[in-house]
Amino acid sequence: MYYFLFKFRHHDVYFTNLFEQLLNHTKLKAFVMRSVEVRYHPSVRQLESMTSREGYLEELKNLLSRSYRLVRDERYKVVYRMQAELLAAIREYLDSRGFVELLPPIIGPVTDPGIRGAKQVTVDFYGSEYKVMSSAILYKQMMATTLGKIYFASPNVRLEPPETVYTGRHLVEFVQVDVEVAGADYRDAMNLAEELLCHVIKRVREERYMELELLGRELPAFSPPFKRYTHAEAVDILRNLGFKTSRSTEIPWEGEKILSGLHDEPFFIYNYPRGARGFYDREDPEKPGILRDFDMLYPEGFGEAISGAEREYTSEKVLERMRETGENPVKYKWYLEMLRDGVEPSAGFGIGVERLTRFVCGLEAVWMARPYPKLPGIYSP
Amino acid sequence: MMERLFSLASRLVLRYGILRSTVRSGLSFSRTYPVWEILSKARAGKDAVYPFNELEEYGRALLGAEVYEPGYPRFHTLDRLVLLPPAFTPNRLAKMGELLREPLYTDVRTECFVGGFKVKLPLVVGSMGSTDVASRVGVELARGAAKAGIVMGIGENVATMRGYDRRRCRNHPSLKERLMAYLENMKDGFGGIIIQQSVEDAYDELWNRIYSDVDLESYFEEGVVGFEIKVGQGAKPGLGGEVKVSRDLALELKDKYYLPEDPEIVIKDFYERHSAPGTFTEAILSSMIRLLKNNYPRARVWVKLGPYRDLVRVIKICSDAGTDAITVDGKEGGTGMSPIVALKDLGLPTLACLKRIGDAKRLGVSSSMVVSGGLYSGSHLVKALALGADAVAMGRPFIIAVQAKGERGVTNFVEAVRAEAQMLTSALDKYSLKDLSPEDLGSLDKDIADALELSYIYS
Repeated sequence: MYYFLFKFRHHDVYFTNLFEQLLNHTKLKAFVMRSVEVRYHPSVRQLESMTSREGYLEELKNLLSRSYRLVRDERYKVVYRMQAELLAAIREYLDSRGFVELLPPIIGPVTDPGIRGAKQVTVDFYGSEYKVMSSAILYKQMMATTLGKIYFASPNVRLEPPETVYTGRHLVEFVQVDVEVAGADYRDAMNLAEELLCHVIKRVREERYMELELLGRELPAFSPPFKRYTHAEAVDILRNLGFKTSRSTEIPWEGEKILSGLHDEPFFIYNYPRGARGFYDREDPEKPGILRDFDMLYPEGFGEAISGAEREYTSEKVLERMRETGENPVKYKWYLEMLRDGVEPSAGFGIGVERLTRFVCGLEAVWMARPYPKLPGIYSP
Repeated sequence: MMERLFSLASRLVLRYGILRSTVRSGLSFSRTYPVWEILSKARAGKDAVYPFNELEEYGRALLGAEVYEPGYPRFHTLDRLVLLPPAFTPNRLAKMGELLREPLYTDVRTECFVGGFKVKLPLVVGSMGSTDVASRVGVELARGAAKAGIVMGIGENVATMRGYDRRRCRNHPSLKERLMAYLENMKDGFGGIIIQQSVEDAYDELWNRIYSDVDLESYFEEGVVGFEIKVGQGAKPGLGGEVKVSRDLALELKDKYYLPEDPEIVIKDFYERHSAPGTFTEAILSSMIRLLKNNYPRARVWVKLGPYRDLVRVIKICSDAGTDAITVDGKEGGTGMSPIVALKDLGLPTLACLKRIGDAKRLGVSSSMVVSGGLYSGSHLVKALALGADAVAMGRPFIIAVQAKGERGVTNFVEAVRAEAQMLTSALDKYSLKDLSPEDLGSLDKDIADALELSYIYS
């Protein structure tokens, strides 16, 4: 238990050969990795040894059952201050570029179904069913049509599969800043995403260097443009390393971690295959089966940072894509009617605030990056 | 007075009518379906392979009575094929070399992999859903199938109609009861369970719910759970499900299903509940499969197809998208709650589906191919495998077996089918079910022989 409460550690040693570490991981035992320089942040390695330990889940349950104690710890105080700074930096950047911040919706008849294996939360609404937002995606297009450039700081709930408790990057309750720009394409959204991140990093390096030092975090200044790989290229890189990856699905979390460990700077993976994402990510009209979407990944093994795309905006196309989840489109009636009334083409992305905090502070797991975290399968205050 | 008499009379007529129709349907079922054969297997297990316990039947069969009449519809079935054992058996010699004794039929290997699951026998309990007859016996059936080490499917609408973990109806287990009954009775990792999600189940995100259920976590880790996309059903390809539901349930379900009569306006005891068949195109189906693999990386992906004319193409698309197993349900299958016209005239018979499975396999299919529809014996299993299927799914035989003797009925029935399959296979000089091939088959009809490229036995 004390394990999570230890004070400021200095991470200045990077372990360059993580070969052994990777092979120790059960999920990776099957793969033969060629010798390659995968540079993980010490926290990422720390998480690996934590989660592979017997009794990790019990420890975590004990710890989180009294999460009010955690918030009093010195290290966490620094993290929360940092988080406030990050949010302020995001707002500063977006506001200065003419974005309008909107109040996020919390409940509604339907929500984002395009999430990997996670269940939505249903609440009783005067005898009818409402969903708690798993993302504000369905509300973004019309607001962008109306106001041009918008964002929500949107609290989301996703009942993730219990296995994700070990990934260090999944929370049941989290906040993402959800950005949408009317008339933009996905490349514009990628440019915006990298500029936003660079601005945020620059500001914390300038304003919060004391905190960074306390946390033992060496954060380099990044500069755009970040490297960009198509999904197919990313799959090839992983395959060359001996990591089995499918061309037709999202890259598994372990794969993203390896890719992330190969980089010193954030980078993009774009053009995911159809079937890997929700119905709202636009299929390239010239390249059927390829989506005009992207992920930005943090370096050093921290994994996914941002997920974004150009949107489908015609009801015909969305109806067809909706069938992918096997659902009856009648469930999305209001959304389809809205599309039929007409929305402008748009593109946007969401950036997870806790994941950003984890990366900037160099934390082992994302649950350390917010007060009162809720983890898959763990009941806590 | 007259009015009351009239109503009494009409009630009697109605009651008598209902009774008569029940008796009639019972009789016609036993006349057109080999109920006794399955019943005796369910009761006696392996012993039923020999008709010793049914001496009367045995005698009648010898006299050429109508024993083989049941199961003969107007189109050709697997019963138009016979198995052709050779006199010279080089494989038996090889097997003898391995065993250092004369091989017996019990030496035929039946363990194999089907759709990503390790199984004792390539026999699958076809996905049965919320329909009364299947739902009531769901738990016993699950236990029996798990103990027998074969794959079982759970059909559509179970969670929505009967409840996910808490029961919605008396005498009907919830989905999770059926699931857990199966998973907790599996032995040595043999078997696997697949769950369908109808358009209406999707409303409540059934698959997401199962995938994020803490109680099922260890089973996903073990790799013994899968999801089945349903693209139709044998007896009613292209049609959805029709069921009658009570008023209470109708009121609860009215937002999710199409009910022609609004239970809030029309007051009745029972309401028709329609469920949609779902819309598919090549792009939709392959994306759906990918999405499933993407969202549930630790679940197997199965697809169930109805007897469609474009089967070959659909099979190829499913296989290319990475499906673990594809079940083709011939028109003799999935007869529960099917309209009579559909039963009579809609879709390809099982034998024709097997022909298309063979054609698809020649194009290169990596998924396991499962066939179903009116199949009920070890001989059907052997013939289907010889024609290119990797496994056979059955529905009604399991319902009869479980009603006759509970979970024991199921294990007995599987044991009997396994023994039959082993006998026939060994007689064909094969010692693994995988080695069965078209050379083992002969056709009683010239046209079937030509179409399936089998030998015509009289030529």
